[in-house]
Amino acid sequence: MVTKNYPDPKLNEKLRDRYYRRDQSNPEFTKETEKLAGSMAHMCYQCGTCTGGCPSAPRSTYRIREFMRRGVLGLEEEALTDPDLWLCTTCYSCTDRCPRDLAPTDVIMAMRNLAFRRDIIPVNFLKTVTAIYASGHGVPNNDVNRAAREKLGLTRDPPTTHMYPEYIKGIRKILDHYNLKENADRIIKEREG
Amino acid sequence: MAEAVSPTTSEKPKAPRIGVFVCHCGTNIAGSIDIDAVKEYVKTLPNVEHVNDYKYQCSMPGQSNIQEAIREKDLTGVVVAACSPRLHEPTFRAATKDGGLNPFRFEMANIREQNSWVHMHDPAGATEKAKDAIRIAVAKASLLEDLYPKSVPVEHAAMVVGAGVAGMQAALDLANSGIKTYLIEKAPSIGGRMSQLDKTFPTLDCSQCILTPKMVDVGRAENIVLMVNSEVEEVEGYIGNFDVTIRRKATGVLSPAEAEAKGIVGGGCTGCGDCDPICPVTKPNEFEMGMAPRKAIYIYHPQVVPLLYTIDWDSCVKCGLCVEACGDKKAIDLEMQDELVKVKVGTVILATGFEVFPIETKEEWGYKRYDNVITSLEFERLICASGPTGGHLVRPSDGETPMRVAFVLCAGSRDSTGVGKPYCSRFCCMYSLKHAHQIIEKIPGVMPYIFYMDIRSFGKAYEEFYYRIQDEGAKFIRGRVSNIQEDPVTKNLRVYAEDTLLGRPMELEVDMVVLAAAVQPTELTNKTRKLFGVSCSTDGWLLEAHPKLNPCGTTTAGVFVAGACQSPKDIPDSVASAEGAASAASIPIHRGEVELEPYYAMCVEEKCAGCGLCVNLCPYSALALIEKDGKTVMQVTEAKCKGCGTCGGFCPGGAIWMNHFATPQIVAQIDAFLLGGEQ
Ligand SMILES: Cc1cc2nc3c(=O)[nH]c(=O)nc-3n(C[C@H](O)[C@H](O)[C@H](O)COP(=O)(O)OP(=O)(O)OC[C@H]3O[C@@H](n4cnc5c(N)ncnc54)[C@H](O)[C@@H]3O)c2cc1C
Ligand code: SF4
Ligand code: SF4
Repeated sequence: MVTKNYPDPKLNEKLRDRYYRRDQSNPEFTKETEKLAGSMAHMCYQCGTCTGGCPSAPRSTYRIREFMRRGVLGLEEEALTDPDLWLCTTCYSCTDRCPRDLAPTDVIMAMRNLAFRRDIIPVNFLKTVTAIYASGHGVPNNDVNRAAREKLGLTRDPPTTHMYPEYIKGIRKILDHYNLKENADRIIKEREG
Repeated sequence: MAEAVSPTTSEKPKAPRIGVFVCHCGTNIAGSIDIDAVKEYVKTLPNVEHVNDYKYQCSMPGQSNIQEAIREKDLTGVVVAACSPRLHEPTFRAATKDGGLNPFRFEMANIREQNSWVHMHDPAGATEKAKDAIRIAVAKASLLEDLYPKSVPVEHAAMVVGAGVAGMQAALDLANSGIKTYLIEKAPSIGGRMSQLDKTFPTLDCSQCILTPKMVDVGRAENIVLMVNSEVEEVEGYIGNFDVTIRRKATGVLSPAEAEAKGIVGGGCTGCGDCDPICPVTKPNEFEMGMAPRKAIYIYHPQVVPLLYTIDWDSCVKCGLCVEACGDKKAIDLEMQDELVKVKVGTVILATGFEVFPIETKEEWGYKRYDNVITSLEFERLICASGPTGGHLVRPSDGETPMRVAFVLCAGSRDSTGVGKPYCSRFCCMYSLKHAHQIIEKIPGVMPYIFYMDIRSFGKAYEEFYYRIQDEGAKFIRGRVSNIQEDPVTKNLRVYAEDTLLGRPMELEVDMVVLAAAVQPTELTNKTRKLFGVSCSTDGWLLEAHPKLNPCGTTTAGVFVAGACQSPKDIPDSVASAEGAASAASIPIHRGEVELEPYYAMCVEEKCAGCGLCVNLCPYSALALIEKDGKTVMQVTEAKCKGCGTCGGFCPGGAIWMNHFATPQIVAQIDAFLLGGEQ
């Protein structure tokens, strides 16, 4: 890649080399993604059906079709370092409708897993890990919800670890098996001190 | 070895001398099979007199090698180890014959389709398998005998099934070349899908204007026997002599000729339509895609050929009012019954066309749920001057003229989900361009939006047509439509897609959506093709004998395909294939006779106990018991026998000899396989 060293970083970014060259592609990335996703990402024909019905797309710069394209070409760096990777809501609309019968949602999940191996992950995702570790819930119950549940004639807490905190142990065991909590704590500390 | 002598051979067979020719097929075979190793091995096999290899055995020099070897080495049999016999068995039989041997002394070992192509990653295994295949072929070739094909006369008549533009063209060509042609159409009129179209791309000529005269020609042609409301019921026989039973459905209406035959002078249906207003039953007209009414006694439209009314028995209440209205013409017979007609023809063309895929199964686009989502075929009727709205495109919900129309391409095509169709429907890009043009022409200020993935404008003058429509102002959006939502109040539609070129999701509110729905073979095609023994590909389209070199033929000798029943084809392609099929189907008829492969069963009378068990087993009714020299024996009608071997495998006394697949020949093959090179 040709580097131009303009003093202004904004200008430098604007005028950087943008050619796609073969050395940016890593075929192993495509294979790895497909293995984790269980879906043939390289068969995407770029119709845009996925993005067209994606609830995240009209509200953000996230384009599932572009991630599929990166999967096709093995553009590992571009895929894993793009913060948009974390904007999928996992609603599975695209997976329902993809005419090539691919599972773009699962491709995104695979890429997230590959990113996490390199510690690429937004802190809020890690905080979810911490929350699950503490309570068994990514989004723990709160007083507003408790009141709403009561109004609907439900128990104040759902029949989960909230009602049976003795099962939190088991959840922690699973998270510890994958060193998830340990890694989350480490990365949060690195980022937030 | 007394067993190995067939009833045809009188003289003592010569000791076998076999020549083996191994083909490289460029690198198709030689790329994964070690030709030299195979040759060295073959030299060690019993009866092998000559071994040779060549880059392309099917070429002139390759064939000459075979001929020379036969003469020089006095061969009694030839084995070519090459591709599948499908294409080149006839080639090598001819070469064997030119070398001076009976052509049936040839045997093929398939070392390409069944070997090098599938085992390309295992060269050692492939080479061993090739040795096995050749050893087996040599064993058979050693026992092959002279056979002589029988010629049978060809009936000087043909049949075309389906009378769309393809079937009509094929029938006209056959008829014009002097062949009596039965044209069988299931609908009450000929014309097919093309008669439902308004204009036709890329020239924009009016479909009716170019089709109706052809329909009239078909109706008038002396050599064409037109049977509408008819279906093929049963097929027997073989090339040259197909006995076809046609079910002529009771239409309840007599043609003038039929009336006359019944002694009703000057009677029969004249198409006057006196019955129509009086009939109390109203039904949707399928020709108008259900968007206009018809009566229980009806015609599709005034230009139908033949111009005869038809009764829809499912809705007729048999009130008899039409009979009165018809009066002296006495054309209506409410008690009419289906009729079975038997005809004999030499060759057959299937031209059964296509139908629209049920696009409501792709639920995200809301067809049948949202009023203003229509299919392209419905659009054709709405934009057609002779259609239900007189050519005014209107919204089904409120009759308003739509000012923003979205066209959804590849609707259900190029879809691997299992719901839609994996193939490209081939003409929807082009007719959607045409549709955009038609609304621009008719509705000032209208805006067509074409949602596409790729515009496939590959035909003559098609790309230019695309240029023209873009120039006329149609907006092309490169993105497949994800889903459509209806505004419950206005009945407008919100189309969701991504403009993949901008990389932005879009929400487009339009007044009408036209789905360019995928096409599929008609339901009845499957039944009809089975009657003629014609195969179909996994997606249901009729299978040609060879996609490049025999596109109109099928694997059933004497049966051909034309038009869109083979794969989606537009009108130019349908007509071209129809002319090809007509030409191919006329050849056996003009020659007057065809050779049948001499693979029929033969009775070894000394061994036959006359038990007759085989007679009922034969699926082709080719066997019978006769008295001969004071003894009951079985007799084969050779022309009827297809050589399937059912009787031969069954006969408890071993009295049936299957030519070319005789028991000793097959046993020798099995032995060669199981015993390896040992004998
Ligand atoms: C919306 C739309 C617009 C189109 N516009 C154009 C255009 O502008 N230009 C163009 O070139 N092409 C166009 N086409 C394509 C065109 O319709 C086809 O090329 C043409 O109809 C194919 O003719 P065919 O005779 O093969 O089949 P068909 O027209 O389908 O005719 C088949 C006939 O066989 C009969 N049949 C079916 N099964 C049986 C059976 N088992 N026994 C007896 N009879 C049977 C049917 O009733 C029918 O009459 C369009 C297609 C569609 C859907
Ligand atoms: S819907 Fe499927 S084929 Fe189309 S762009 Fe998205 S992932 Fe690719
Ligand atoms: S012809 Fe065009 S619209 Fe039709 S399936 Fe093929 S690509 Fe899609």
